[in-house]
Amino acid sequence: MKSVGVEARTGEWAARWADFRYTLYLLRRNPLVLAGGLIALFFIGLSLSANYIVNPQLATPAGYPDFEGNYPFVRSYSWNEGHLINWGPGIRLYDGPEFFYLGTDGWGRDLLTMIILAIPVDIENAVIITVAAAAFGTLLGAFAGYVGGVVDEAVLRITDIFLAFPGLVLALVFAAMFGRSIPTLRLAILLVWWPPYVRLMRGQILSEKEKTYVEALRALGAGHLRILFRHIIPNAIYPILVQATLDFGGVVLTFSALMFLGFSPTPSLPELGNLAADGYQHIFEAPWLIVFPGLVMLLIALAFNLVGDGLRDVLDPRLRR
Amino acid sequence: MSKIVAVEDLKTWFPIKGGFFQRTTGYVKAVDGVSFNVHRGETLGLVGESGSGKTTVARSILRLVRPTGGKVYFQDIDVTAAKRRELRETRTKMQIIFQDPYASLDPRQTVNSMLTEAMEIHKVVSSHAEAHGKALQLLETVGLSEEHLYRFPHEFSGGQRQRIAVARALAVEPKFLILDEPTSFLDVSVQAAVLNLLKKLQARLDLTYLFITHNLAVVHHMSDRVAVMYLGKIVELGEKEAVFRNHKHPYTFHLMAAIPVPDPEIKKKEVLLTGDVPSPVNIPPGCRFSPRCPWATKRCSIEEPPLYEVDGQLAACHYDIDFETGKVKSERGLKS
Amino acid sequence: MTKFSEPKERDVILEVKDLRLEFHTYRGNVKALNGVNLKLYKKEVLGLVGESGCGKSVTALTIIDLLPENAEILGGQILLTGENLLKKSKDEIRTIRAKRVATVFQDPMTFLNPVLTVETQLQETFTLDKEGLKQAVEFQSTKGKNITYLDFLSLEEQSSRKSDDKKVSRGEIKRIVKALCIDVLRLVKLADPERILSQYPFELSGGMRQRAMIAMALARRPAFFIADEITTALDVTVQAQILHLLRELKDKIGSTTLMITHDLAVAAEIADRIAVMYGGHVVEATETREIFRSPLHPYTILLMRAIPNVTRLVESLETIPGTVPDMIDPPPGCPFHPRCPYGMVKCVEKFPGTTHFDGGHEVACYLYGD
Repeated sequence: MKSVGVEARTGEWAARWADFRYTLYLLRRNPLVLAGGLIALFFIGLSLSANYIVNPQLATPAGYPDFEGNYPFVRSYSWNEGHLINWGPGIRLYDGPEFFYLGTDGWGRDLLTMIILAIPVDIENAVIITVAAAAFGTLLGAFAGYVGGVVDEAVLRITDIFLAFPGLVLALVFAAMFGRSIPTLRLAILLVWWPPYVRLMRGQILSEKEKTYVEALRALGAGHLRILFRHIIPNAIYPILVQATLDFGGVVLTFSALMFLGFSPTPSLPELGNLAADGYQHIFEAPWLIVFPGLVMLLIALAFNLVGDGLRDVLDPRLRR
Repeated sequence: MSKIVAVEDLKTWFPIKGGFFQRTTGYVKAVDGVSFNVHRGETLGLVGESGSGKTTVARSILRLVRPTGGKVYFQDIDVTAAKRRELRETRTKMQIIFQDPYASLDPRQTVNSMLTEAMEIHKVVSSHAEAHGKALQLLETVGLSEEHLYRFPHEFSGGQRQRIAVARALAVEPKFLILDEPTSFLDVSVQAAVLNLLKKLQARLDLTYLFITHNLAVVHHMSDRVAVMYLGKIVELGEKEAVFRNHKHPYTFHLMAAIPVPDPEIKKKEVLLTGDVPSPVNIPPGCRFSPRCPWATKRCSIEEPPLYEVDGQLAACHYDIDFETGKVKSERGLKS
Repeated sequence: MTKFSEPKERDVILEVKDLRLEFHTYRGNVKALNGVNLKLYKKEVLGLVGESGCGKSVTALTIIDLLPENAEILGGQILLTGENLLKKSKDEIRTIRAKRVATVFQDPMTFLNPVLTVETQLQETFTLDKEGLKQAVEFQSTKGKNITYLDFLSLEEQSSRKSDDKKVSRGEIKRIVKALCIDVLRLVKLADPERILSQYPFELSGGMRQRAMIAMALARRPAFFIADEITTALDVTVQAQILHLLRELKDKIGSTTLMITHDLAVAAEIADRIAVMYGGHVVEATETREIFRSPLHPYTILLMRAIPNVTRLVESLETIPGTVPDMIDPPPGCPFHPRCPYGMVKCVEKFPGTTHFDGGHEVACYLYGD
């Protein structure tokens, strides 16, 4: 008897797997989406393996093992041997044998290594924030949309309030109150990031709720929870997936922007925005400091945007089949 | 014959909200006082055009919409007032097949999942294996097979989807089935197969049907008795042949005359109704059909006719009209 | 079989010859049309009947070139008064589509622009016909009376001579268009045309919208109409009204219509001739009376027995065993053979040629010939 049950379940999974493969096929067909997807996968792979590719110890500024937050008085930049730029009271010349593909930053660290170390930081952030915002916003929106009435109105008003918050100001306030740390920054971004999901999900729920299959389920005697979680939400989730993918790039940019503006807990933290912050004052002398981290940010955002766009086209149930 | 479902003066009104504070400015009186009984084992056909309220009647009986007034009884249980647990139990006994086979199935659910879910909700089976076995049995009953079990709705044709819907409804072992235009979206040859299946199931499983449709040929094929609805009320009710051949209400007459017959030899007298099917927002005073009725008199626009009993049928018309000649034979319900 | 006067060859307005078409989809190529042959004669209503998937709507869309991107025409000809439409360029097709064929679709709500009033949309249609309007102005000035739609129709016949290049005032054109709008609405039996003109589509009922669509089709003075399931979405009493209107229009203005429907009863009511399609082929075509009196093709015979008929009470409806074929992998030869009670070995090999009987009855079945 056990085999019958197992067979039933495998049959079910086989059907869903075939469905998934169809989605992948559709995605493969669009060259832009394919390119974006590959780039995105590359970055994700990189972020998972960064610590194995390069030595994370290199992030510690050389000569400042117990760094406390004071900027070094003297810095030196170099692009390969022989070139030097300096300012400030001291001069330092780099004349070692190493070749820095992307140059060095203010502490003499290899920029390429720093970027590789920075990618996991950004991606991890983006994942955490996007997933948390999407999950929270989705649940709230689903609840509001399904229940309707006063609850719906209340949730909408609260959402509107949060929507009106300027993210930057909120981050400032948080930093002032709770200190500059990654978790507080994440919270600040999260608080302004979830409202669109509420709206999105609520809209989807409102339209799915009216569909005939929901009525059929009610006639069958299904309870509200079952209908909402097992049926409506899975059918309504597609725009959320698309939005989350698109948002991914947005979060990377936002977080980097905050870092760039000085919210970084430590100035030497390898993070794309932070690395760029170092260089904006020295654009003409050491342009690579802004250009390369910026390019990487661009690529990450672009890759996920492309995938998100492709998903939007592919997951629309009307266009499938 | 025992009554399985009794509907008494059912009213379902939908409020129209308007104005600044969403006040109720009026009502859509979709169902406005409908009474009928469905006897065990029979098929009662409910016909009408859009705006007649027939679909709302179905939903009100199952309490998918909340009736505004009146009562619905299922085997002596008051469905309209039932509490949650009672309602759940009655839900196993009364089921519905919807019109649109493309919308009534969750597109993300496999057939297997649909059937087992129905069983799960009502705890009809106690193990996965039993559920699986029952699912296969159900598929066989509706003319499908095991290979269809793990497919998604979009992989099936309209006719097959309706069969799946039937299988799903049967999973909870109902006694009363409401069929809301089950074949309107299907091709002719498929329609025939589905109708035959429904008839076969009725005999085999001792089911009672309420068959709602606008297709008169189909209702003629399926029903024992027929009720004709117009603008929220029943205007005629009787045995099938009586309603079709010997109707007493002008609306029924026009309805029958409008059916296209697939036989060019049969010459029909051209009988056309003027105007469009009205909407239940503005119901005319008196008899609802009077604005379009060629025989309407002053009395018709003042006094709403009740369902008179005539020759074993019920008809809501003040006059006895000979439709062949168009002459009014006598008047009913005159208070002397 | 009865004899009726064989329609003369020159009265054929549209002829479809051996049309083949495929759709390229994820699951494979859908062979939608596999050699469709049709003749549409002037001043008749041809009912194109079939179930879903038989290709009737696709045929119409091919004629007016409204196919989706993944459609590929594999062969055949569409001859509109002798000219092969398939050989024309995109621009020429567009002109032809605008001037010679008018299509009325099933759901007027999606085909009427919801943000424009009826008047605007009707006006647009009339105004596209600049030549015609110029001639109308001339007509009015020479005849001295207000132009009616019927007059406007008759202008077509005289259009062979070029109109003078005299300038016509905008105001005159506007007035004529307005008069024509009102007249054409009256023609489709819409009461109070002035009021209808100022309304939006959502303010009209289903039947009225369908009439408005027919009016827009009339405004184009086409060579023929295509009506694609126009009564399917209507209530039965409204359907009866629309069919009555179509019959009247046929009598009054001698319109030619290709009427597509899945409902044999509707076709029986209004068509002069009926063509039955199955699996991308026309399997039988003849006069309406004839096809009901003596259907020849097994599919036609079984189809008629499957329709519930109010005048005939049966215990159970006859069904056609099997299902409509999967057009990605259709059965070889005659697509009906898996379900046909008379299937022969020949049927699997090749689709039969058309057998012509006296009186215009055509059927594609080996039972009657090769």
